[in-house]
Amino acid sequence: MKQIKLKRILYSDTTWAFVLLLPNFLGFLIFLIIPMIISFGMSFVSWDLFGPVRWVGFDNYIELFLEDQVFRRVFWNTMYFTAVTVPIGIVLSLFLALAMDQKIIGIKFFRIAYFMPVISSMIAVAIVWQWIYNPEFGLLNYFLGLIGIEGPSWLSDVFWAMPAIIVVSIWQGLGFNMLLFLAGLQGISEVYYEAAEVDGAGWFEKFWNITIPLLAPTTFFVMVMAAIGAFQAFDAVYLMTAGGPARATSVLAHYLYQNAFQYFRMGYASALAYVLFFIVLIFTLIQLRRQRSWLL
Amino acid sequence: MAILKGNKLVLGIVVAVIVLGLVLGGITLTRPPAEPEDIAAKPVAEDPAEEPAEEEEAAAAAVTLHFVGWEASPLETESIRKGLDAFMTQNPNITVEYTPVPHAEYETKLITSMAGGAGADVFFVGAELYRSLQLKGQLLDITEYFEAEFELDYFIPSAVSIMLINDRIYGVSSSTVSPILFYNRDIFDKAGLPYPPKNPDEAWTWDEFVEIAKQLTIVEAGETTQFGVFGLENPAWPYMKIAMFLSNEGNVFNEDFTRTTLNTPEVKEVLQSVFDLREKYGVSPEALLLEQLGMSPSHMLQTGRVAMLIDGSWALQQLAQMDFPVGIGVLPKFDSAVTHGQAHLHSAWIDTPNPYEAWKLISFLSSEEYQLDLIHSGLWMPNRTALYTEEGIARWFNPDVHPEGFMDVVPFIRDAIAYPPAFNVRPAAMDIIAEELGAFFDGGKPLNETLADIEIRVNEELAREQ
Amino acid sequence: MNNKEAVMDIKYRVNGLIPKFYVIMKIIKKRKYISKALAYLFLSVGASVMITPFLWMIGTSLKSLHEVFVFPPTLFGEQLRWENYLRISDRFPFLQFFFNSLRITVVVVISQVLTSSMAGFTFARLRFKFRDHLFALYLATMMVPVHVTLIPNFILMRHLGLIDTHASLILPALVTAFGTFLMRQFFLTIPAALEDAGKIDGCTPFGIYWRIFLPLSKPAVATLSVFVFMGMWNQFLQPLIFINTKDLMTLPLGLAFTQGFYSTDWPVLMSGTVLSLLPVIIAFLLAQDFFIRGVTLSGLKGE
Repeated sequence: MKQIKLKRILYSDTTWAFVLLLPNFLGFLIFLIIPMIISFGMSFVSWDLFGPVRWVGFDNYIELFLEDQVFRRVFWNTMYFTAVTVPIGIVLSLFLALAMDQKIIGIKFFRIAYFMPVISSMIAVAIVWQWIYNPEFGLLNYFLGLIGIEGPSWLSDVFWAMPAIIVVSIWQGLGFNMLLFLAGLQGISEVYYEAAEVDGAGWFEKFWNITIPLLAPTTFFVMVMAAIGAFQAFDAVYLMTAGGPARATSVLAHYLYQNAFQYFRMGYASALAYVLFFIVLIFTLIQLRRQRSWLL
Repeated sequence: MAILKGNKLVLGIVVAVIVLGLVLGGITLTRPPAEPEDIAAKPVAEDPAEEPAEEEEAAAAAVTLHFVGWEASPLETESIRKGLDAFMTQNPNITVEYTPVPHAEYETKLITSMAGGAGADVFFVGAELYRSLQLKGQLLDITEYFEAEFELDYFIPSAVSIMLINDRIYGVSSSTVSPILFYNRDIFDKAGLPYPPKNPDEAWTWDEFVEIAKQLTIVEAGETTQFGVFGLENPAWPYMKIAMFLSNEGNVFNEDFTRTTLNTPEVKEVLQSVFDLREKYGVSPEALLLEQLGMSPSHMLQTGRVAMLIDGSWALQQLAQMDFPVGIGVLPKFDSAVTHGQAHLHSAWIDTPNPYEAWKLISFLSSEEYQLDLIHSGLWMPNRTALYTEEGIARWFNPDVHPEGFMDVVPFIRDAIAYPPAFNVRPAAMDIIAEELGAFFDGGKPLNETLADIEIRVNEELAREQ
Repeated sequence: MNNKEAVMDIKYRVNGLIPKFYVIMKIIKKRKYISKALAYLFLSVGASVMITPFLWMIGTSLKSLHEVFVFPPTLFGEQLRWENYLRISDRFPFLQFFFNSLRITVVVVISQVLTSSMAGFTFARLRFKFRDHLFALYLATMMVPVHVTLIPNFILMRHLGLIDTHASLILPALVTAFGTFLMRQFFLTIPAALEDAGKIDGCTPFGIYWRIFLPLSKPAVATLSVFVFMGMWNQFLQPLIFINTKDLMTLPLGLAFTQGFYSTDWPVLMSGTVLSLLPVIIAFLLAQDFFIRGVTLSGLKGE
């Protein structure tokens, strides 16, 4: 009897599920789930990192939503940033992927070229682009000067600073999204296109009626990942403009960081972190509603 | 969402999680506050006179000190390392590991390392962070050590008022720096104009200053090839402007730092005047954030892009190395010829395992021997009254660095007013000011509105319970 | 020109191009190979935008300091100063930081690949209670911004006395929801027939994982490895906050530290940047073919 029982356990899915999942789940629990819970708790206190913890109930959230005008600015900036970065990034990378899908010589070269920005550290990217945006000696204003436009001082101009950051963001993410789209495109069977051609479809009809719909799961994935990244964007702002000028580029993640590590307001920072989390969550759920198939 | 519907078990889990979070959040964060009595009760209570006995035993024990600072320039780091080598030779049992951290990350690094229980033994503290850190109980009270070796009288007034917190000392001021006027002598010679005055008694009035700037601004074919002056406008860091506020009897905060006094006619006059430099007279280029440039304002002065530069006195170190005749003068005045002064302090961490050795390092860093090198290079100005006498000046004066007539400017710096923001303990307040001034200078926000908003927001921030 | 005028100017110039665009479109419809040429053009323009900053970086790394601030901008200076690459060690111990980064990255990559493949297999192939609920939880955590967990992790590390150790960087990165998701998607594409064959041969579920699925998953493993390598190699915020001692610092910190407050040695900084890019590029080159296949096969296309 015992032997059979042992065998049962050894071959049971549940046992191995437990074993195989354990290391992963443990790491999760300790470094992700529990910190999340702690962070949640912290959003109800006031703490300056060194002194005592003071319970404040919902005060942080009330201040955040009703009294903090910096938060409103920051929230708006984050939405602005995401709303521009994501669609443009997706459209551009889609077209790039379409272009890459043709049989072209030197595709390996192109792949590396487009991937270089993706694999570079943000520090490197920030340094180089600060140079490019330099109003006196930078590359961008030089080229603009050649066609007779006097470029503004990009990163210190209240109006242009955010677009400048957006461009860097898109630049960095293009290669990655392009790759995902490429994979998606290669998964669409030729059969559909051939059938359409038989029916006399032109380039545009094929694109609109076959490519786009069949690419939907990929597009969905890319969009959600890009949006999640955009909502959380921190490095570019921190390294290039420090939220300036006059909070023109201050995004939620950066304001959070300032509160935690410069203003001695851990509790408030945690409340901001959770607001950020809920923004991301709500957005993702909305997209999920629209398309359930990507989970499978 | 179908997953959650009607599943009481899950609901129960969610509630338990929330409760757990609140409890965990409270427990993990509790750390006994550093009460003032505790701080005083720490090693400082030991009479330094008793130290020598212990010292001989301790002298045998090798100690490693972690020392962090930020790097203003590679030249500064070199000077620091040289100084540290000398210190280590004098104190063979102490090894100092110096780690420069970039300025942009410095504050975060300092705060997080202390919060993480891994603070450095000795470190730079910016004047604006000093009081906040002391309030959080992170700075070692070195009053007794200090009084055994130094007298407050040794230091210039601005340094003393910054160092003292409730009559105790938590850090020793390293030097002093002040906003000052630099100019390109060649340009002045070419224009045939008199050099800016070096004696504070002869300081230009603001109008005289603007006149000269106008004459030094050259426009060729619709483009300005030479600007009269640069440096007052950097809004993200109101550093230079504050000197002008003070000159006009205005200030950033009131006496006990509970309110801001920026919304006053005096400050308004200054801001409008600075703004007019660019907009009305065109003598100043558009503000470029210092961090942004990649090219420092010094280069602008060197290449003749600007004729006059208002910058911190630390710029002298770099300017002196560039090959052009640089001159130095006092700032123009509205009412009185003043500037402000401050510098970072050297402090020790409250939880350092080696307070005595930490003090020895601080003492060395505060010694003439160490500081003279950096003063010699033009980066720092001395904060010792003794070094402002004639013979004192001779000890650090460097004709290769300090321009002609520098001697006359020296009292201007010695008598500087302590930098007001050094007494503010709400970092967010300065950010608000920078943000609003940025909106005014670059975003077209009307001045009245800007100042009114600053008043409301900063007062709110200052009043907020910590 | 102020902003408004600049924008109007651009609009004017672009509008002039539209009639030309229609003509081109008509030609395209008639000849297929023009579409390829167009694609080529488009790609090339894009590629040059991608690459120019890097060329700039390389050029600047070979200049001397005063050659950097020139107008009009030049690509190279008068001589190629290769010695700038050697001078990096004056600024920070390059090799030390390099190996620190390498050590941390390699450990994390191995750990993430192992735990993710195990978890991915579990979610893809094994049946147990709450499986899909648990997976949904995993997916939810992908949405958690790093800042939500940063502070509590910091506190946790402090309690464990791990501040200022490499462990503080490695431990939170040992597992990943993204990796789990990726491996799961990939494993879903492996035909059930192989699994059945394994069962018939008498494999335990672990055996199926170890002997059948894992060997087949090279593309997905390569993909995951590159992503993880990239992420850990370039990580900046966590090392900044968790590491104090110079000896333990990583490459991104070293680069950041070459920026002075008042003046920066740009050529040396650029050379440091170029050098720090090399390992990731090499990793990418090596894994390129597997990488592309891996992305394709991980079922992101989903139908």
